[in-house]
Amino acid sequence: FRFKDSLAQDLHEADLVISHAGAGSCLETLEQGKPLVVVINEKLMNNHQLELAKQLNRDGHVLCCNCSTLVDTLQSMDLSTLKPFPPGRPEKFALFLDKVVGFQ
Amino acid sequence: TGGHTTEILRLLSCLSESYSPRHYIFADSDKMSEAKIRSFEQKRAETFSNSQFTLDRIPRSREVRQSWASSVVTTLYSILYSLPLTYKWKPDLILCNGPGTCVPVCISALLLGLLGIKRAIIVYVESICRVETLSLSGKILYYFSDYFIVQWPDLKEKYPKSIYLGRIV
Repeated sequence: FRFKDSLAQDLHEADLVISHAGAGSCLETLEQGKPLVVVINEKLMNNHQLELAKQLNRDGHVLCCNCSTLVDTLQSMDLSTLKPFPPGRPEKFALFLDKVVGFQ
Repeated sequence: TGGHTTEILRLLSCLSESYSPRHYIFADSDKMSEAKIRSFEQKRAETFSNSQFTLDRIPRSREVRQSWASSVVTTLYSILYSLPLTYKWKPDLILCNGPGTCVPVCISALLLGLLGIKRAIIVYVESICRVETLSLSGKILYYFSDYFIVQWPDLKEKYPKSIYLGRIV
């Protein structure tokens, strides 16, 4: 897999994704509507990368575990508890910006 | 860079054609952003006939975890590089979302404003990855931007002058 340009095709075909907590990986997976288990390696990560994974977990969009609990998590997980991830709304930004610059 | 480019292109996706011409500025070390931008603009040109855009590179102002002292030097160097660009384009609006590249560009725009040459509106959108803390660029530009947008409510609480529109990318 090393450095594919895009994982979109693989994501499309997957039933379950297990990933590190990188923001791009998490968001791409969620946007494709795939269930996601995020494996957190606190020793390896930049502190701020954890923020998104933790928030997504709190909001019920992903399951989290670490390397040692991964197997248990996979065995006992209930993916139906995961909530769908609504897409972002760039149109809200456009509306806001139009007001700011004076295009009404 | 990478994720920042993807995010900013999403921010641009719903903007009307009045936001033209678009001048993209990114780091010289960035290999992937040019392709993403061209692809975005190409798609856009299918809908909007008069699509105009330019691409410029500036030296990267700071590597991840680069020391403070050397960051100041490299940022100053990037500012010197950005000044002629901002002078050339004289933007009405600067939209940025967090890579180190945006700081020298905004600073040079502020200088142009101070000198009475051109006053740009600076809009900063913090990355969706930032839930509880601001990036370094965010911490700096919180004070120097005209509009500072965050995408999670925790940040709105911590930074009251910020604007929260929910998730916009």
